[in-house]
Amino acid sequence: MKPISRRSFLERSGTGMAAAAAIPALEAPTFQSRPLPAEERGREIHLKVNGKDHRLEVEDHWTLAEVLRDHLGLTGTRVGCDRGECGACTVLLDGKSLYSCSYLAVWAEGKEISTVEGLAEGTQLDPLQEAFIEHDGPQCGFCTSGQLMSAKALLNSNPNPTEAEARQALAGNICRCSNFNRYLEAVLATSGKGGSRG
Amino acid sequence: MVEELKTVGHSTPRIDGLQRVTGRATYSADVQLPNMLYARVLRSPHPHARILGIDVARALAAPGVKAILTHENCRLVWSSGDRVNKRYLFNNPVRFVGDAVAALAATNRHLAEEALKLIQVEYETLDFVLDAEEALQPGAVEIHPGGNLSPIISFRSTEPGKREPSTYVRGDLEKGFAASDFVFEDRYVSKHVNNAQMEPRVALAHWEGDKLTVWTPTQGIANCHRDIARDLNLALEKVRVVCQYMGGGFGNKNQCQDTDLMAAQLAKETGRPVKLELSRKEDFVCVHGRWPTSQNYKVGVLKDGTLQAIQMRGYSGMGPYRKSGGGISGVEYFRCPNVKTEIYPAYTNMAVSANFRGPPYPQGVFGIASILDHIAHELKIDPVDFYLKNVTRKFRDSIPYTSSGLLECIRQGAKLFEWKKRWHPAGSQQGPIKTGIGLAAGGFGASVGRSSAVLRLDSEGRLWLHVGVTDIGTGAKTTMALIAAEAMGIDMDKVRVISGDTDRTPYSVGESGSRTTSYTGYAIVEAAKDLKQQLAASGPPQGDEVLIAEATPSPRLEGKVRYSFAVHFVEVEVDTELGGVRVLKYLAVHDSGRIINPLTATSQVQGGVIQGLGMALHEELLYDENTGIPLNPGYYGARVMTHVDVPNVEVHFVETEDAYGPFGAKAVGEPPIVPVVGAVANAVFNAIGKRIKELPITRDKIIGAVS
Repeated sequence: MKPISRRSFLERSGTGMAAAAAIPALEAPTFQSRPLPAEERGREIHLKVNGKDHRLEVEDHWTLAEVLRDHLGLTGTRVGCDRGECGACTVLLDGKSLYSCSYLAVWAEGKEISTVEGLAEGTQLDPLQEAFIEHDGPQCGFCTSGQLMSAKALLNSNPNPTEAEARQALAGNICRCSNFNRYLEAVLATSGKGGSRG
Repeated sequence: MVEELKTVGHSTPRIDGLQRVTGRATYSADVQLPNMLYARVLRSPHPHARILGIDVARALAAPGVKAILTHENCRLVWSSGDRVNKRYLFNNPVRFVGDAVAALAATNRHLAEEALKLIQVEYETLDFVLDAEEALQPGAVEIHPGGNLSPIISFRSTEPGKREPSTYVRGDLEKGFAASDFVFEDRYVSKHVNNAQMEPRVALAHWEGDKLTVWTPTQGIANCHRDIARDLNLALEKVRVVCQYMGGGFGNKNQCQDTDLMAAQLAKETGRPVKLELSRKEDFVCVHGRWPTSQNYKVGVLKDGTLQAIQMRGYSGMGPYRKSGGGISGVEYFRCPNVKTEIYPAYTNMAVSANFRGPPYPQGVFGIASILDHIAHELKIDPVDFYLKNVTRKFRDSIPYTSSGLLECIRQGAKLFEWKKRWHPAGSQQGPIKTGIGLAAGGFGASVGRSSAVLRLDSEGRLWLHVGVTDIGTGAKTTMALIAAEAMGIDMDKVRVISGDTDRTPYSVGESGSRTTSYTGYAIVEAAKDLKQQLAASGPPQGDEVLIAEATPSPRLEGKVRYSFAVHFVEVEVDTELGGVRVLKYLAVHDSGRIINPLTATSQVQGGVIQGLGMALHEELLYDENTGIPLNPGYYGARVMTHVDVPNVEVHFVETEDAYGPFGAKAVGEPPIVPVVGAVANAVFNAIGKRIKELPITRDKIIGAVS
């Protein structure tokens, strides 16, 4: 098997991005916080997401996942079960991993939230993201954002985890393609390089 | 061994990896349209009941509700939901807990969910049956007129066939048993296991005039496109199916879904885009999982272990609708002069059963690999030697394979695994913690057939590759790009893949049956030949010029059969006091011909193995026998594998040369799950000396067996 150099995979990743950009966009999504109709009683909250402040009108029973996806357009946070079983919706709340499908948006008032969209800084990927590509983490990719955020929370608190610690930290993130070992390789490779940024 | 190529065969990260790790990949549920409505489905709480009346008045008057469909006002047939019976979107009677009763669209998902509760349904409950063999007993309630034995189906015909078991015969069974030194009989049982892909089913339908666009997670945009057009009675050009990223399916997102049709119909009635989202529980109970089976074997052998006769009578519980074949396969991997298999697919009032990765194989291999392992044990023959003696040389002992690395997989695997060193007689270890090893072999058809590709070369040297794949997680976009780069002799960074949209791509075979590489990949090779001829004739395109080549080959195998093979070796540790099984070592050896991308192929094999371990050790959709209600739908209840459960999985490819397919590539996706359950069951037997004959191999069964 030919080893993959960092350089060649970055070039290829760039190709992927160019290809995607070259594909004409489908219907442009309309993501804006809209005033709620009369039948939906709202309440105003403030959220800080990926360093950006948002003022939103939400209903009490809306989940954080729902608000991120449907009202802030941050669809990188996936909903796989909507009942706290699969981990696809994992985000960071004040630096700790959280199932955003099982947390009400109103509870997040004043808290700092990080989603997968906030991992990269400009065009610079987080080392975890680079390692996920290099080690072929995503198969279908639906659980990937959650795996990344759980891994990020782990490396934030424990920059050099053992294999057992990493498995434990990711235990709440199911991958039905069952690419668990690839994800683990990627996390351990990142920690071995001196840990993740931030 | 295959000759080295420039691009193909070198590990290459996915070309869309960046989109997948940044959250930018657009899955169907991520698409939002202005003015969009949300739809929800009301489902039967009874396993079998006649609907006497539905009152939707209160629900229709509820805030935000725009339309409601029931069997009274919507008679659309979902033709890919049943290949034998007329299955409507909404059926009366309802035939399983979860059968759709009504669908409604409202201005948001919460209002839709609230309004569902206001629909009043009066049911007359009917008798129900959950088990396939019970369903075939005299006096069992008839789920469809004509009885519960589902007819023979052919995938090429929608005409109902004979009400007979699917039967295969070669040789003379009675002669074979008479010629045998020993005859063994046993019975094995496998359970309903859900595909449990991460992305729940969703459909977004949008009409612009008389043109319908559906965003839906599908394993085959071309099939889905055809099915939607047929069921809605629309011309093909009036339907567009889009699936840019797809969150797994493992066989339960083939063709079109009832959700696609419901969303389309609700969108038509309301004049607004409609997004229908299924919950995880609905996805578990209301789509489909692997069919449960019971398998009765009778096997005759000579003293030296040579197989003389194999008989198998099997039952498959298909649920109340016939989406798929219901086969039980595995006997075909062994040479034997006298064989008879009979399979009875039966209607039941459980969740529908249909395709899940390697559809008829993992459960069938569990059965045949278990009884053959038992025979090897009784005859004191090493299982590796038993396999080398008895595995298939020709398909059904008569048709040559295009290539076969099966024997080589066994030999190399046994060596890499250090089989002889690890081997001990079954149940021979002392103490409560015991280890054991096992192997099983299998394969999967690597057929060839019709698919299309369009190549467009521009003056900048960019090669635009239009292929109708959705990439269900296999890495198909990358595989297609690698094949195109190799065939054209250009670098990967020149290739642009256009996929996942029926308005922009030609026909592609569905991403099921491990066919995409062999079918669509080969179409790329053929189109590239044409493009190279054009280049030679007219030179590279200049300015605004492009060169375009298309190919839709229909290759044939000329009297041969094409297969991928897999031989798996596993060592387990069994705690006989607490009943736990832990995998210590796993080796998967595969002949998939030439490997196009070792990086993604290895991931697929690892994933298939781990899915198989879940089936072997954990997963089963349990039903309450008194009410017919499923008890554990969802990830937690199904106990799917997680990061803390998985062993390291070593993958080794035996790359045999094959004259068909793109550069000799055979099937990769499905073979990895095929031998897993059989290999694990045999390893557990080797550890504890007792055979577990019913899946999954849970703690209670281990403790029951050893006590």
